[in-house]
Amino acid sequence: MERETLRYLGWWLVFGAVMCLLPLVVPTGTLRILIFAHFLAIFAMSWDFLSGRTGYISFGHPFLIGIAGYTTAILSYRYGVPLHASIPAAVVATMVGGTLFFLPALRTRGTYFALVTLAFMEILYELTKVVAPKTTGGTRGISGIQTIVSGAVANYYLTFGIMFAIGVVLWLLVRTRLGMALSAIRMDEDALRAAGHDTTRLKLFAFMVSAAAAGIGGAFYVHYLGSIAPRGIFEIDFLFTILVAALIGGAETIVGPIIGAYFLTILLEYLRPVMPGMERYFVYGAVALVVYVYRPDGIYSLLDAARRRLRERRG
Amino acid sequence: MAEPLLEARDLHMAFGGIRAVRGLSFHVAEGETLGLIGPNGAGKTTVFNMVMAELKPTAGRIFFRGADITRLPTHARVKRGLARTYQVPRPFGAMSVGANIRVCMAPDDLWKLMTEGPDVAAERAIGRGVGFSDSQIAALPSALAMGDLRRLEMARAVAVAPRLLLLDEVFAGLTLAEIARLSELLVEKKRTEGLAYVIVSHDLRALAPLVDRVIVMSFGEVIAEGTFDAVTADAAVCEAYLGR
Repeated sequence: MERETLRYLGWWLVFGAVMCLLPLVVPTGTLRILIFAHFLAIFAMSWDFLSGRTGYISFGHPFLIGIAGYTTAILSYRYGVPLHASIPAAVVATMVGGTLFFLPALRTRGTYFALVTLAFMEILYELTKVVAPKTTGGTRGISGIQTIVSGAVANYYLTFGIMFAIGVVLWLLVRTRLGMALSAIRMDEDALRAAGHDTTRLKLFAFMVSAAAAGIGGAFYVHYLGSIAPRGIFEIDFLFTILVAALIGGAETIVGPIIGAYFLTILLEYLRPVMPGMERYFVYGAVALVVYVYRPDGIYSLLDAARRRLRERRG
Repeated sequence: MAEPLLEARDLHMAFGGIRAVRGLSFHVAEGETLGLIGPNGAGKTTVFNMVMAELKPTAGRIFFRGADITRLPTHARVKRGLARTYQVPRPFGAMSVGANIRVCMAPDDLWKLMTEGPDVAAERAIGRGVGFSDSQIAALPSALAMGDLRRLEMARAVAVAPRLLLLDEVFAGLTLAEIARLSELLVEKKRTEGLAYVIVSHDLRALAPLVDRVIVMSFGEVIAEGTFDAVTADAAVCEAYLGR
């Protein structure tokens, strides 16, 4: 177990090293695409830690990301709070939002839980437009938000660093017995209680961690884009991109969502010259469908199976 | 009389208009094996569900080791020393047998869950204790036969280190050899750890050598109580099982 963890950590390092060398060989246009992949990976991992593990399917991740984005945008743009204070404040606000999120999970499961979380997203969408539009910027949102670094290369390193750190932390977490207990919630929550586990506390923890990751991602996302608007965040398309990235890559693995995020972002970008309009979403839908039907465990399991076969052939 | 390990006082459970349990009182002494029998629908599993807080009794109180646990949630009762098996085995399906045992042994403490590794030797000891081979411990529950699934239920219940174990139809669907092996395990645990049991079973022949005392339920009420021989000779019991 310990040795296996170390070996996998070696793979993480290889991955990190390769990604750090990438700016030396690829054009900045590609780096800008990968920056989006990093944000998508953070959101997808956050979703995976909560929903992929515990089976409480969240349709409300844009809600969490939105809280983070608006908090830091409003604090820094309207009140001149420095970023090193506004970003942590945004993460805390998101975790408080995650607790709100948690309340329906005490009573509902499955489809109902998913729909309640979807409602959270819709409510926040309407609220940003109606409540205090002078502060939130209403439908148009806020633009001209301070950015942290400028240039594709710097942003690439920044976003990769955050994504990598979140990835390693979440991955180490799910490899402990805590990760097993969270998975057991999905399989049979009552039986887990009968094994002496306070599932409410476990769920609350999963929600908090997921919200923290989404909050970090959301805050940095806004400071990368330099703008925020309700359209684009509280959006079903955005939600589905997160879900598809997690599922296509392989839910419950943390590594899978990273793979899925890269795959999806690159696929959509390279289809762009061929199909400039929305029709490329058909292709991505079709790819997602094929993967789900033939590999419900996602691309990660495909790679894992290939690795196993290789080892068997060698050994 | 010494204080009983578990005591239920005047338990009632109504599902809408159906009164599944009506005024049930019973106790289990430290280290005792109590048989709980009765025809289908008598309310036996409902009693287990109430003792484990999976159902909230309509009325009545439950005491465990002298403390009123009526309002405690399931996990808190488990921590005090109660555990159960399910009539229909409910393993964590996507986890190996060993992982199932590991989750059940794991402490209910977030920090310890994150920082402390599992006690692999103790896990294997529990798996082997119920008769699993090493290859079975690595297998998924879906690869197991019914008898093995019941042993997994047993292993998971033992893994929480209980004082009182509620066994729901543990012998159903087992071969005679499997019943003998499981009975041996129960007796062994009772002798070495002083574990007490409440056993629900339709298999009276398997039950007979294990139990110190039997209570018989019918339509949510106790209709007889005593030694196995006395109870099975009771006219009311025969009537409940076979009809008049």
